[in-house]
Amino acid sequence: MKERALRIGRPTPLIGVVSEPETFDPARPAVIILNSGIMHHVGACRLSVKLAREVAAKGLLAARFDYSGIGDSEPRRGSDSFDEVSPRECGEVMDYLEKTRGCRRFILYGLCSGADASYNTALVDPRVIAIAQIDAYCYRTLRFYVEFYRPIVFRLDRWRSFLGRMLRKLFGQGPASDTQSRSQPEGEDYEIPTYTRIFPPREVVAKGLQKLVARGIFMYVNFTGGEPAYSYQDQYRASFPDVKFGKLLRVDYYPQTSHIITQPQCQAQIVQSIASWMAEVPTSGG
Amino acid sequence: MNPLFFGPAETPLYGVHQPPEGKALDAGLVLCYPFGQEYMRAHRAYRQLALLLTKIGFHVLRFDYRGTGDSSGELDNVIADDWVADVGHAVQELRDVANIQRVGVVGLRLGALVAAEVCKARDDIDRLILWDPVLSGNHYDAELLAEIAAENLAAAGPHSGNGEDARGNLSYNGFVLSAAFRASMKKFDLLGAMPRAVPRVLLAVSHESDDFTQLRTAWSKLPGFRYLHAPAPHDWNFVDNFGGILLPQAVIRAIVSWVEATERP
Repeated sequence: MKERALRIGRPTPLIGVVSEPETFDPARPAVIILNSGIMHHVGACRLSVKLAREVAAKGLLAARFDYSGIGDSEPRRGSDSFDEVSPRECGEVMDYLEKTRGCRRFILYGLCSGADASYNTALVDPRVIAIAQIDAYCYRTLRFYVEFYRPIVFRLDRWRSFLGRMLRKLFGQGPASDTQSRSQPEGEDYEIPTYTRIFPPREVVAKGLQKLVARGIFMYVNFTGGEPAYSYQDQYRASFPDVKFGKLLRVDYYPQTSHIITQPQCQAQIVQSIASWMAEVPTSGG
Repeated sequence: MNPLFFGPAETPLYGVHQPPEGKALDAGLVLCYPFGQEYMRAHRAYRQLALLLTKIGFHVLRFDYRGTGDSSGELDNVIADDWVADVGHAVQELRDVANIQRVGVVGLRLGALVAAEVCKARDDIDRLILWDPVLSGNHYDAELLAEIAAENLAAAGPHSGNGEDARGNLSYNGFVLSAAFRASMKKFDLLGAMPRAVPRVLLAVSHESDDFTQLRTAWSKLPGFRYLHAPAPHDWNFVDNFGGILLPQAVIRAIVSWVEATERP
């Protein structure tokens, strides 16, 4: 595996890194790894680097890059929203890999807002044949509430805490705090993503997924325990009962890990699982 | 911005060279990142610092140590001495790519400790800037262990994976410091030998603490030493769920002002 730095586009290039396999076959799909929020292209807990290298070890070319204004890419002029810019800039990377490496089909990967960007790009760019997502758009079902509250209902400490809160409220006391909470500073020192993550209405996403299914796009959707709207393995399929995913969809749920996957064992498991899935995506799509 | 890989062929390092805007000085700065989530949260601040330094004529190279970021390797095969060597490669790379002679180093938190080690080992570093430095490898190790102990007391929700395994590897917020790395890091101590060959040294802090006072007192014996307190409350190691990052403008501005002032004839 060899890695090279990328500068894509003029006058303000997108910066990234391409991981090239020992034996490169342009007929196989290339993988493009997208930013999560305003984290640079290394990815949460270096996950994007690990994934790119694992993918390259399995024979696929993988590129990770920063959207303009994020990480190592300088901001570009214009006032378009991230939803408008992200498919365009990802398209530039596809153009570049098509021109320089001969890649014509692509698998997109993203976590959180990167998952949203992979979905939005797949909707508009026919070169995308598969997407792998972590903590994608998801919607609560009736069973979500059952699964969510079941572990809590039988825990004595939760009931004690609940009764304590109720009693304090009844007697006009504020919330008890036995530890000083860590909080973020406000103002110019602390920057949160300008991209505000709002899940579109379920019907809109269902329609979009139906389009992807009609095009035969493979989807591998992973959820973590850090996604508050997800609580059981089959929730994704159950959220979209009218979408006939068939074999195009695979879902995995990791309730024991956080949204940015801080657990080393989980990182290794997820990277291995996603890279293996990518390596098995048929060249011609579904 | 010019991204590049440099250094030994067997352990290539990723860096971004930012050339000066306007009139160029015969001077450059290598930026040494902190560790783990602190690295993730500091990336934007380093980009901003680099940008402002290029505006006053400096070449800047910010880079990832081996086993981190886009550089080669995994953390479990690296020790802290390797990072000191990596800074050496970065200094040479900046000299070569920019065709300059004078190169300084800037380090934040654990990066400051590494940068200081580099300055102790060689006599060709033009300036050293310590930003909220970790006082020693022992201090840093103890800080992480204390954070983990506090977290275990207040444990809730998905498990962070933080903790020490039986072999002495320490996992903290998604990054693992191997037992070998921890042992090597513990040799580094800002209160030990001082980097006497560096003509200009800045200690820039965002808050006051006993550690910084102790360091200030010890290092004020160095002829070119300066201490700056630029209040900017923040917590480098905090992890949130939406990728918030830190941009302590007051400290960044203070560092750039000091560099500019000390560069004037």
